[in-house]
Amino acid sequence: MAIEAEDTPLEQLMWKVVTLKEAGYRFLTLTALEVDEETAEIIYHFDINLQMKNLRVRFPKGTKIPSISPIYFAAFWAENEVIDLLGITFSGLKIDYHGTMYLDAEDKDTVKTPFCRYTFVKKEAE
Amino acid sequence: MVSTVIPFGPQHPVLPEPVHFKLKIEDEKVVDAIPAVGFVHRGLECLVAKKDFVQMTQVVERVCGICSAMHGMCYCMGIEEMMGIEIPKKAAFLRTVWTELHRIHSHLLWFGLYADAFGFESLFMQFWKIREKIMDINEATAGSRVIISVNVIGGVKRDISPEHRQWILSTLDEVEEALRDLEKVVYEDYTIRKRTVGIGVLSKEKAYELGASGPMARGSGIDIDARSLGYAAFPDLDWEPIVEYGGDCFARAKVRFREMLQSIGLVRQAFQKMPRDEEIAVKVTGRPEGEVITRVEQPRGECLYYLKGNGSKNLDRCRIRTPSFANFPPIMSMLIGCRLADVPVIILSMDPCISCTER
Amino acid sequence: MMLLYNILIIIAVLLLTPIAVGLILGIDRKITAKCQSRKGPPLLQPFFDLFKLFGKEHVITNRWQYFCTYIYLVSAQLAIVLLFLGADLLLIFFVQASCAVFLVIGAMAVPSPYSQIGAHRELLQVLTYEPLLILIIIGIYMTTGSFMVDAVFAVNRPLLYDLPLMIVVLGYVLTIKLRKSPFDIASSHHAHQEIVRGVHTEFAGGNFGIVELAHWYEIGLALCLCMLFWATSIWGALAVLAIAFFLEILVDNISARMTWSWMLFHVWLVGFTLAAINLIWLYMR
Repeated sequence: MAIEAEDTPLEQLMWKVVTLKEAGYRFLTLTALEVDEETAEIIYHFDINLQMKNLRVRFPKGTKIPSISPIYFAAFWAENEVIDLLGITFSGLKIDYHGTMYLDAEDKDTVKTPFCRYTFVKKEAE
Repeated sequence: MVSTVIPFGPQHPVLPEPVHFKLKIEDEKVVDAIPAVGFVHRGLECLVAKKDFVQMTQVVERVCGICSAMHGMCYCMGIEEMMGIEIPKKAAFLRTVWTELHRIHSHLLWFGLYADAFGFESLFMQFWKIREKIMDINEATAGSRVIISVNVIGGVKRDISPEHRQWILSTLDEVEEALRDLEKVVYEDYTIRKRTVGIGVLSKEKAYELGASGPMARGSGIDIDARSLGYAAFPDLDWEPIVEYGGDCFARAKVRFREMLQSIGLVRQAFQKMPRDEEIAVKVTGRPEGEVITRVEQPRGECLYYLKGNGSKNLDRCRIRTPSFANFPPIMSMLIGCRLADVPVIILSMDPCISCTER
Repeated sequence: MMLLYNILIIIAVLLLTPIAVGLILGIDRKITAKCQSRKGPPLLQPFFDLFKLFGKEHVITNRWQYFCTYIYLVSAQLAIVLLFLGADLLLIFFVQASCAVFLVIGAMAVPSPYSQIGAHRELLQVLTYEPLLILIIIGIYMTTGSFMVDAVFAVNRPLLYDLPLMIVVLGYVLTIKLRKSPFDIASSHHAHQEIVRGVHTEFAGGNFGIVELAHWYEIGLALCLCMLFWATSIWGALAVLAIAFFLEILVDNISARMTWSWMLFHVWLVGFTLAAINLIWLYMR
């Protein structure tokens, strides 16, 4: 069985999130997981009156995802966790811990992706 | 304006768990608060790769000590939905009993720590004394005081005998009487009101926007409780979400106090309506496949589990969003503009469970 | 002869005050524990704590703080010795004020933010009770005709008859000095506040032992001031002491910690009003 999730291409993500915000949905959380060696996906969970709506975004690993924290400020917290655990980076994060939220500050130059079975090399040096 | 930076935590006597806030203070007023977590990160979600889906029940129970049975229940509910298993009604009622008892003892623990935060040590001792009665019930019925491990996929592990049932009901009568005695103190004591009324106000709009959950949201007037989803025995029980409209620390304390009394009523109802002679678990065969999202109402708020299975004995992904995790952004907005003396009161009014936040 | 007598008094006060205050604090902790349905520590626990502190490794991190600690101890001892030698109450007042100030300076000598904010709050506490203490001393002057402690013993009716409201004001002063809720703002006993142990945070080891000892002398002074209110009979004095102390423990157990602004406002409002009423009544007689 699968959950009801709307497959969203990366370019349409921000627009869809804005429409959800205007419709009165509250942000629950986002789930990041790796699909296979090359692809990862993030599922965004929203809720209105206990009715859930999920957006599924699939992308190749190493892509910089637009952060939804300008729309839903609370999302910065979940996105920072994803940076630590899956190595996915976000652009436009309101408060960015740069991968030191759970991991130590000394380790932020090496990409550690404890939740990925296949890790990847960070192409751009920050 | 001299500004000082006060490191609040991680090793701080007033905090129950290690969390760090960098408070920028100007003349005893907080102008900025940046949280730092990561001191108890154990990477429990990662263990899906090593432990099979049956063993993961024990792993998720250890995410948090205070709401452990609820984590177990949520996980088991998720796997049961994925595999199409329907648990016996008696098991659903037993799960409700244990989780509502968890809610009572979690709120009692919180009240003790809260009283300690504003310097009222004797109230702290009184609440924890009442809490010992619930811990005794846990130990007698499940074998352990804190992490009670009664949930299995397909039902529960143990039954509650009729003698225990009588004893639990009489203990709950004692607990209710003790709580009614303390009700006057919590609601009307002058010093407590001075320290909590009007402190840490979170408006309804901000609470909704920042994703507040549980008593944080219900204390600000948002009428939302995940028990309305109708899991376990809740469709058969008569109850309503408890909402207060003050939005301050006092309102949140009131929500939790009323929830405790409501939970005592729910346990009584559950015992009354529980089917007497029935199985407590069904046999489970097969492997989980697919994805599922389950939600339960933990003492701190709404907990969300996303489980993904791929037909093997290890799950692909187990994502846990705990209510303490969701309540962090609202806390940051509440801390800005408050006095230094109110910082522990505000942080504790969120009921921070950092082991839940970080897993 | 007089000199020998005085030296004996000084030695007796210096030795017996910590013992008496230690026992009183032990009783305090036992009664507090009973109020909270606990068993409580043994009666001699304050002494065990003090000896443990002195037994710690002697490390001086900040020389200026070390110096201030010793001045704090010496002024606290000086204040209570002067009281027992029958000296001028105004002199005693200023000596104990300087002892409080040196504790604050010792805390401010360290760059820790907890210590700094704690020291600031301690100054506010001192600011709260010092004017009230002056008014109490003025009340005593108006009753006995002199600022000397000896004059209190020369009058043959207890001060309580003439200064009934002043003992209430002294109760507020005592609560602040003893660091009891609702006024344990600068340094709570259990370190469970946002500034950890506040003014006492950065004192450690033997240094902290000296601070504790000096605090005991300060408590001794405050309690002896209480006893002065029934100086005509030893049983009366002990009764006043017992009732005052028991009320302190009660108030501690039924109230939360307040903020310094509430303390300043409330204590000054009530304290100044009661003191003014008592003084005006004395003046009109």
